Amino acid sequence: MAVATRGGGYAARPQPSGLAEVIDVILDKGLVIDAYVRVSLIGIEILTIDARIVIASVDTYLRFAEAVNRLDLQQADQSQGLPELMESITEGGAKSKTKGALEGAKEKLGIGGDEEEEKEERRPRRRSSQRSRKSDEE
Amino acid sequence: MRAVYVYGIAPARERTDVEAPGVGSPHAGVRRVVHGDVAALVSDIDPGPLAAARELRAHWRVLEEAISRATVLPVRFGTVMDNDEAVVERFLAPRHDQLAGQLAELAGKVQLTVRATYDEQRLMRAVVEESPAVARLRERVRGLPEAATYYDSIKLGELVAGEVEQARQRDTALVLSRLEPLAVAARAEKPSTQDGAVNTAFLVERSRVDEFSQAVAALESEIGERMRFRYVGPMPPYSFTEEEAAASWA
Repeated sequence: MAVATRGGGYAARPQPSGLAEVIDVILDKGLVIDAYVRVSLIGIEILTIDARIVIASVDTYLRFAEAVNRLDLQQADQSQGLPELMESITEGGAKSKTKGALEGAKEKLGIGGDEEEEKEERRPRRRSSQRSRKSDEE
Repeated sequence: MRAVYVYGIAPARERTDVEAPGVGSPHAGVRRVVHGDVAALVSDIDPGPLAAARELRAHWRVLEEAISRATVLPVRFGTVMDNDEAVVERFLAPRHDQLAGQLAELAGKVQLTVRATYDEQRLMRAVVEESPAVARLRERVRGLPEAATYYDSIKLGELVAGEVEQARQRDTALVLSRLEPLAVAARAEKPSTQDGAVNTAFLVERSRVDEFSQAVAALESEIGERMRFRYVGPMPPYSFTEEEAAASWA
């Protein structure tokens, strides 16, 4: 993170990116094969939504988990805590309609383009940014 | 029943040995399914829910390693197909020429991403200084209980959001004007966080990466006081992979 220092001290080469900062790119971009395949993927798509919400903390947890695993105490389960997540996600996915489930869930969770509003809700000062965007369009 | 997880598409003639473990548990090795001039990078997987964060990381590592050796079109995370035949019949064969064409266009080029985030304090101070309307409304709202200034607060936030948006557009235009001439292509995308200032992706010839990096450094020393830069790459050409319809934003 301390890559950028002022006054020419900038590392003049691109840095490898951390997972957390490319999460949006990984989830939202890339070749989509075809509608048929996407439908069969619903379970995983729903998963990716929750991934976005939990990714920052989970990523940190996973780093710790890796560090702890290196201690070689026992062959511990690396994914503890995630099974519950999986279950809740799968449930949510099953309730949603097949098509558009991703979008629906995104809306419901307030993510995917609406992240800012989600955050702003917790900050009364900024509550109106969505409104401002709408009024810009009018 | 097994299935195959698809990471990306590379030219069949390029080496794409990947040592990073594949998505899923237990991890299977990454291998290729070749059809004509194109190859899909895949690994075997037990279909079913994936442990999101861990698998995202595995997905990313495979792609990162693959692009260090070859040109790779990234496939959307979480793409699973029934088997190798399905990969060929439903993906590689019907889109062979299109995929080969995209790979040819991207050959020898990498995506570099330049992002910047504002220092919020600093940005807010600038907004108040430069916008009399914001300054006035801020004075009126300050010190009063939130309930008494509900609508004024909304109005104030709206004004500030507008100013921030303008600052983003100005700064994005500045970054593009400096860096785009050194790139084959450029895309401005919406910053993904609230403090995001600039989110730009550039497709750069590998031979010009150093030159491009120097321009980034120069830009950073020029305006790095106002915002914090992140210069990331090389990464898979996500922003330049078609049917992405990479919505131009700025």
